Amino acid sequence: MNLLKMGKFSFNMARKSIGRRKLRAALTIMGIVIGVATIVSLISVGEGMQTEIEFNLEKMLGAGVTISAGESVSIPEYISEYVLQVPGVKDCVPTISIMSNDFRSRIGSGEHGSFVSIVMGIELNCAIDLYQLTLSEGRIPDLGETNFVIISASTADKSDLHLNDTITLSATSGGIGEPFTVAGIVGSSSSSGFGIEIGYYISLQDAQRLYDKEGYVSSLLVILDDPDQADSVKDILTELFPEATITTPEAILSRIGDVLGTVNGALMALGSVSLVVGAIGVMNTITMSIYERTREIGMMKAVGGKRRHILFIFLSESAVIGVIGGIIGIMFGISMAYGLSYLVTMLGSTVTLPIIVSPQTVLTGFTIGLVLAVAAGFYPSWKASNMRPVEALRYE
Amino acid sequence: MSKLVELRDVTKIYEIGDEIRVKALQGASLTVDKREMVSIMGPSGCGKSTLLNMIGGLDNPTSGQVIIDGVDITDMNEGELASFRGERIGFIFQSYNLVPTLTALENVELPMIFAEKYASKEISERAADMLGLVGLGERLHHRPNQLSGGQQQRVAIARALANEPSIIIADEPTGNIDRETGLKIIRFFQHLNKTLGQTFILVTHDPDIARVSQRILHMLDGKITSRPAKTSIKPSKQILLEEQRQLMLAELKWLENSLTRLEESKANLTPALYDQSKTEYARRLDSLDQAILALNNSELMKK
Repeated sequence: MNLLKMGKFSFNMARKSIGRRKLRAALTIMGIVIGVATIVSLISVGEGMQTEIEFNLEKMLGAGVTISAGESVSIPEYISEYVLQVPGVKDCVPTISIMSNDFRSRIGSGEHGSFVSIVMGIELNCAIDLYQLTLSEGRIPDLGETNFVIISASTADKSDLHLNDTITLSATSGGIGEPFTVAGIVGSSSSSGFGIEIGYYISLQDAQRLYDKEGYVSSLLVILDDPDQADSVKDILTELFPEATITTPEAILSRIGDVLGTVNGALMALGSVSLVVGAIGVMNTITMSIYERTREIGMMKAVGGKRRHILFIFLSESAVIGVIGGIIGIMFGISMAYGLSYLVTMLGSTVTLPIIVSPQTVLTGFTIGLVLAVAAGFYPSWKASNMRPVEALRYE
Repeated sequence: MSKLVELRDVTKIYEIGDEIRVKALQGASLTVDKREMVSIMGPSGCGKSTLLNMIGGLDNPTSGQVIIDGVDITDMNEGELASFRGERIGFIFQSYNLVPTLTALENVELPMIFAEKYASKEISERAADMLGLVGLGERLHHRPNQLSGGQQQRVAIARALANEPSIIIADEPTGNIDRETGLKIIRFFQHLNKTLGQTFILVTHDPDIARVSQRILHMLDGKITSRPAKTSIKPSKQILLEEQRQLMLAELKWLENSLTRLEESKANLTPALYDQSKTEYARRLDSLDQAILALNNSELMKK
């Protein structure tokens, strides 16, 4: 078979055949577009989410190994002195983190809806280094100053807080709190992006007082000389403090990765439903096209068209539909992903949906469109190629 | 002169479903020489088209032998037949069968692309040549719907000529065109036959068209007869009467059955409804009897 001539000719035929029934072709292409777009947008959102979560967790965990007592504030602060003795440990930062979701109701500005953030009790200078924060306004309170808070830029924005505003923070939701003055606002922290952000930094002493647990912390962040030693340090610490929960960032990341994988899988399964619908559309179009052109097929066979020629002509039609559907689907899918991300931000959530469109995603979308269309078109095309010329010519 | 087409006692039986068998050809034999132009005539359903399908390699015969241009194609499979048709046969159809989306030039290129005999450049050149030959050199890039019926058929002729076929087969080539244009087309066949020595076998209903060819074959009931078939209105009228009688007999049977059922269900019906139905059936039976009688009498009178 003269592939070049045959290919050129088939492409020409396909183009014209699609042009002959514009609406039908458009609807079929739409089917492919929806399928491809769904998959592309899901992958883009999924990859974005995964990357962002991993990035933030690494930043948030900051330290190599975390020693925590779960939800309670029950680790004696002096333990950090022992931890510092462990070889490979560079520093040990005691912290208290309070999960909170309804400050605004207590500070009287509930108009932005509720969001989850963390109040971190930590030596403030240490937090700036650990979380790579940059002070955009105000100052960092000195060690020993009490009832000052540093807030993240996004918290300032969402809760409409400014320097020197006073807010009430408490250890438990609804508990009696203490007033805190906003001393500084920090930008570019783990707050940007998906995940639970640290919205408020207060001194460790303040946090301990709020909890009424002087001398105790909820977790110790262990900073290592070499991040690769995380596992060996963890082993030593586990031996030393068998009752504490000791985690490495890798362990948390892999657990979160598992969850994300499951979520992605479920989304993909949903997405593939639209692919099946698209495939049925292509099958229908090619079948209709073949019925309409039965006599044409009969003629082509009469003038010497062989089975492979007819197959080639009709598969080309499927392929053209697949390529067009794939390309539009990719563009549509990317827009859909960004649209979704925008919508999430619009709804006033601290959770932003980052989008990552990798070349592999584009290639996957394109391949899916093409393979889907050609596979769906194969059966009807094969049937067309097997038509008996006499019967095809007689077809009315 | 050498034989180009040789059919020996060819039969073709179509089986429709399990029970109906249509004997389209019942022992047709024929030879056509090179450079001949032959017309086949005959009533509808006599097997003309089936005969053309056999000669053109569109279908295999049930029995007999088909030899075209020295090649026995009797038992060729569809793939072999496709190659054979592409190389040796040019087809012209009643309804032109051009691809509506392709231009005249592309339509003529089609058989050459399938034949894989010419280089790409040669294909386009030859297609333009052929269209020039049929007088459409100015309309290479027109689509079929931009051409008249006569012009479309000329595109089809160019397409048939494209692969330099041994025979051109035309099934009612003028059936869809007005008479005058039809005669022009046939004279063009004649012209190609005389100048290029192109062999033509065509089927037509029009005696004037048939007369242009050198030889006229007549067909009847799946066989080739030397003389025109005496198929006037008479036999067909007889068939019509017979059909009518069959229909009447069927109705008679239905009425009798209905009466039986009426008697069976008498107990369930009101007397008035029963009487009314019975009278109606009786009336219809009566008139049907008379009609059958009249039909039989008219046939008797004819005999």
